[in-house]
Amino acid sequence: MTDILEQIAHCIEFGKINKQSPYPPDMKGQDGADEYTKAALEQGVAAGDILKKGLVPGMQKVGIKFRENKIFVPQVLMSAKAMSTAMVHLKPFFQSGEVVRKGKFVIGTVAGDLHDIGKNLVSMMVEGAGWEVIDLGVDVSIDRFLKAVEENPSCIVGLSAMLTTTMVNMSTLVTTIKEKHPNQKVIIGGAPLNNDFCAEIGADFYSPDPQGAIEYLDALVI
Amino acid sequence: MTDYHVLVESNIKCLEKIGHDAVGLISDPYRETSAFGASVEFSGNNNPVCEPIVASIDDLDLLKNPDVYKSGRTSDRIRAAGYYKKLLGDDIPVIGWIEGPLAEAADLAGVNNILVDILMEPDFVRKLMDICVITAKDFAKAQIDAGCLVIGIGDALCSQIDPETYSSYILPLHQEIIDFIHDQGAFTKLHICGDITHHLPNLALTRTDILDLDWMVDFSNAHEKCKNKIILCGNLDPVSCIQNQKTEKISSLSNKLIADQKNTRFILSGGCEITRDTPLENILAMESYRRI
Repeated sequence: MTDILEQIAHCIEFGKINKQSPYPPDMKGQDGADEYTKAALEQGVAAGDILKKGLVPGMQKVGIKFRENKIFVPQVLMSAKAMSTAMVHLKPFFQSGEVVRKGKFVIGTVAGDLHDIGKNLVSMMVEGAGWEVIDLGVDVSIDRFLKAVEENPSCIVGLSAMLTTTMVNMSTLVTTIKEKHPNQKVIIGGAPLNNDFCAEIGADFYSPDPQGAIEYLDALVI
Repeated sequence: MTDYHVLVESNIKCLEKIGHDAVGLISDPYRETSAFGASVEFSGNNNPVCEPIVASIDDLDLLKNPDVYKSGRTSDRIRAAGYYKKLLGDDIPVIGWIEGPLAEAADLAGVNNILVDILMEPDFVRKLMDICVITAKDFAKAQIDAGCLVIGIGDALCSQIDPETYSSYILPLHQEIIDFIHDQGAFTKLHICGDITHHLPNLALTRTDILDLDWMVDFSNAHEKCKNKIILCGNLDPVSCIQNQKTEKISSLSNKLIADQKNTRFILSGGCEITRDTPLENILAMESYRRI
C-alpha cells in the first residue's frame, strides 16, 4: 500500500497527470496520478488514505518548493492538474461521507478585480491539502461572499486582490463580514498586500504564498 | 486609454508638476492584442478587459500580424510618440512601449493556458511567441520612427516561470527584439514585474540597456549578477512605500537607495507602476531629494 501511495505523491509533486501526458519529460509514458489513484482504489486502499497519505503529502511538497522558489507557477499548475485528476476518483467517497475533509474554504477575488491566477493557485493547493474549496470566482460582490458564509457555517474565507484599486474593497468586505459574523475567520492575499494592510482592515491573516495559507488553515483545525 | 492627446497631455502635466526625466507611452497591455483582432472593453477607471482569441495551435494559421499603422490602438500609440515629439522636442526622452513575447502570448491565449502549455505544448507557445515577436519589432520600429529614444519591453509573466524555461524559450526572443531596437538606433528598458531574482544571470545576457527591478529584488545582488553592465532602475515599493508612506520616509528611503547605489549605473524609480491613488506629494518626495 505504501508504495502506491508514494507513487501518487510523487506524481502530484512532479505534475504527472496520466500516462498520455508528455510532462514531465523524464516520466513520459509512465502511469500518472490518474492511473495510480484508480489502481489504489481497486487494490482496496481506503480513499481517505489516498487523500491523506498520497495527495496531501504530494501537494505539501509542491507548496514548500514553490515558497522556496524551487518551482514556479507552471509546475504548480501541472501538480494541481494531476491532483484534480486523482480527485475525480475520490469524489464519490467525499459525497458519501466516507472521506471527511478538514473543513470548508470559501475563496474569491474581490469586486472589481478580474485576476484569477493567484486565487486559483491558492484554491487548488488548499484543496490538495485536504480542504473542501468553494471557489466563487473573480469580481465577487459582498452579497455573494455573505451568502456563501451563511450557506457554509464554520467555513474560512479567503480574499484575493491583485490591484491597489481593488484591495480597498477588501476593507469594506472584511468589515461587513465581521459585523454580521463576528467570529468569521478571513484571510487575505495578493501582490499589493502585506501584514500592515491585513491589520489595518481587521483581517485575521495575510500570507504571501499558498503554503502559508494552508499552514494557517490547518492550525485552525488541529 | 483610447485618445493619444489625453495620454500625452496628462503626462506633460505630470512632467510640469514633478520634473522627472522621461515620459512614457505605456497605458494598458492590450494595444497589440487589439491589433491582432481581440476585443478590448473599457469601463470607466477600471482596468480594460480583453478575452483571449487563440485556443490552440490550429488557431495560429488564422492569426495574422497586423499593420501597426492601420490598427486603431497601435496607431494611437504611434501618434502619441509623434505628439510628444511635437510638444517636447528633443529635451525629454520618450519611452515607447511594446509587450514582450510571453506577455503578448498570454494576452492572446490566456494566462493560465500559456503557463500550462509552455510545459505541455511548447511548440504551440513557441510558434505563438514567434508571431508576437514580429509585431513587437514592427511596433517598436514605428514608435522609434515617430520619435521614441527608448523602447520599454513589458514581459511581466516571465517572473512566474523557472530559469530553465526562460533561458530556453524567452531569452533568445528578448535578445532578438533588443538587438533589433538597437539596430534602429534606440535604447531598451526591460520590465518584468515581480521577483526576478532567479532570472538575474539570464537577464544579464539580454543586452538590454536598462533593467527595471521590482521592489522585492535586492539591488546589490542585481548589480553583482549584472556585473554593472546594465543600468538598473527601481525599486521603491509602489504601494507600501510610494503610495502609503509619509513623505519624510519616502525621501529617506530614496536617499538610502541613492547612497547605496553610488558609483553604479542606476535610475531611481518605483519598482513597478506608480499607483493611481498615490498622492502627488509622495512622488515629489522622491524628486525633492534629487534636487537637493
